[in-house]
Amino acid sequence: MPVIDYKCSNCGSSMMFDSATGMLACPSCGRKDDIEQMPDPIALVPFVPGQVQSYHCSSCGAELVTEPETSATVCSFCGSPVVLSERLSGAYAPRSVLPFTINKQQAQEAFRKWCRGGLLTPAGFMTADRIKSITGMYVPFWLYELHNMVEARGQATRVRTYRQGDYEYTETSYYDIYRKMRLHYVNLPIDASEKLNDELMDKLEPFPYPELKSFKTPYLAGYTAEKYSYDDEQLLPRAKEKTMSYIDAAISSTVTGYTSVTYTDRDVDTRVQRADYALLPVWMVDYDFESKQYIFAMNGQTGKVVGKPPLSKGKLFAWFAGIAVVTFVILRLITWALGGDLL
Amino acid sequence: MKQHTSNTSKRMLVLLLPILLVALTIWPAVQTIHASGTGTVGNKKLVYDDAGLLSDQERQEVNRMANEYGPVQQTDFVIYTTNNPEYKDVQILTEDLYDSKGFGYDKGFGNAVILTMDMRNREVYLAGFGKAETLLNDQRLNQIREKITPYLSNGNYKMAFEQYIQTSSRYMNYKLGVNPDSFLLNIWFQLAAAILLGIIIVWIMAARTGGRITVNRATYEDPNASGLLDQHDRFIRTSVSKRKIEKSSSSGGGGGGTSSGGHSHSGSRGSF
Repeated sequence: MPVIDYKCSNCGSSMMFDSATGMLACPSCGRKDDIEQMPDPIALVPFVPGQVQSYHCSSCGAELVTEPETSATVCSFCGSPVVLSERLSGAYAPRSVLPFTINKQQAQEAFRKWCRGGLLTPAGFMTADRIKSITGMYVPFWLYELHNMVEARGQATRVRTYRQGDYEYTETSYYDIYRKMRLHYVNLPIDASEKLNDELMDKLEPFPYPELKSFKTPYLAGYTAEKYSYDDEQLLPRAKEKTMSYIDAAISSTVTGYTSVTYTDRDVDTRVQRADYALLPVWMVDYDFESKQYIFAMNGQTGKVVGKPPLSKGKLFAWFAGIAVVTFVILRLITWALGGDLL
Repeated sequence: MKQHTSNTSKRMLVLLLPILLVALTIWPAVQTIHASGTGTVGNKKLVYDDAGLLSDQERQEVNRMANEYGPVQQTDFVIYTTNNPEYKDVQILTEDLYDSKGFGYDKGFGNAVILTMDMRNREVYLAGFGKAETLLNDQRLNQIREKITPYLSNGNYKMAFEQYIQTSSRYMNYKLGVNPDSFLLNIWFQLAAAILLGIIIVWIMAARTGGRITVNRATYEDPNASGLLDQHDRFIRTSVSKRKIEKSSSSGGGGGGTSSGGHSHSGSRGSF
């Protein structure tokens, strides 16, 4: 049985994950089950390797239309939440999951509020009445623990100027600098989905890791989920690249008191301590505006919205003109207060 | 679309309204300052052209101008040219003139600025008495002198004298400690700065619309395991370069003093 669904043991309806209580809830009779206490049905399903070509909804029997990456979805006919166990077990078994705390209604409201707050977005966009779809998605991430041993060498100068008689002396002292640091990064997230824009996902951070739960399939009930498209080894270069700026900043923070610093060589030895597969909650918003599509993403825990909205030329100019005029008037008033002419 | 534009212009209006109000409230003050200048134009003798550098007509014009600017600053703008038959120092010449004539718009021995031209030694001296001693300090007198020196050297005396009266009067408007010719007070510089600021702020606003990265190196760093293991800062060498400090290019400089009559003043001397 490759398809899992959750039937209420009271009334037989499909149960969904409730973001407010963090429990599996029945929309019909109101029964709530504590996910941490219930046996995960995926453990009962024997793992059978090999791609199954088609899945059928266990509630209504309709064929489930899924993409190859989809691991959880909602039946497009009867609306029952279904989990494709095969795509969540074996090598695809997530270690942890960060459940949604923002439900669809709250997400929609938060997105509207965000749109209204846009200072440069066109007025038509600000009403946020063209949300095409809003989807709660568990996005596959790798959480890396990287142990770095960093050695940096460089040259630093300290410049001092002083006057003596009719001459100004500039004294430049040169130093050879060396720093050796141990830098451990924990739970560094890299999104493993092919479809999603990396830049967008990076901006969604930070995710509140204390809320991470060990993975259980009922958390996915009612949401869509994807399995990873890239494994932890394929994404390691991106993880290393992401830590580069952190390492640079860490080194720089230990080199102080110089006029200039140039690094001649920087040696970073990275060891991957662990890479955990985790599903993190993201609301994806598809938005149509003036026949163009915009995609926004919202952190399902913190509500942070990212994505490039359209910019209004009129507002850009109005802000520019307003700031320039006010600044100019203030400068002239200062000049006038100091004794100059107003114009 | 229409609603959007009217909305924007409404916002602009709200933004500009306070500026307009401020401008309206201070305008009368500006007007009175200018008006006071045209109120009572006296006909005091302020140009003593003993060296005969100006024609009669020129002298009258400059004298009228000095009388016009006098009330604005409550200060006498005096011009004194001499062939210096008694071989006196230009500063002594200036002080003696003040002591003997007792210039001052407000009272005898009051506020006055004196420009003295010693044609024998081709030296010029500027002095500020009374209110002008503080408002036209040595530094400001130097600036005025540097402005008019090219005209003096060319023999364009009338132009130099007019420039001297205008600039002195203008400088006296400025609060102490302010350089009246600072580029920071220049209207074109300020216009450019305002436009640049507008561009920068709007550019930053536009760049930030897509959401910002709010994590930094501390977010994922394990503070217990991370740290500095080894370091050294080894001194290698020192190089020293020296540069001669340029002296102010024009001859002469500042320096006030006290006249034999006991009147202290600011001053600036130079040749032309």
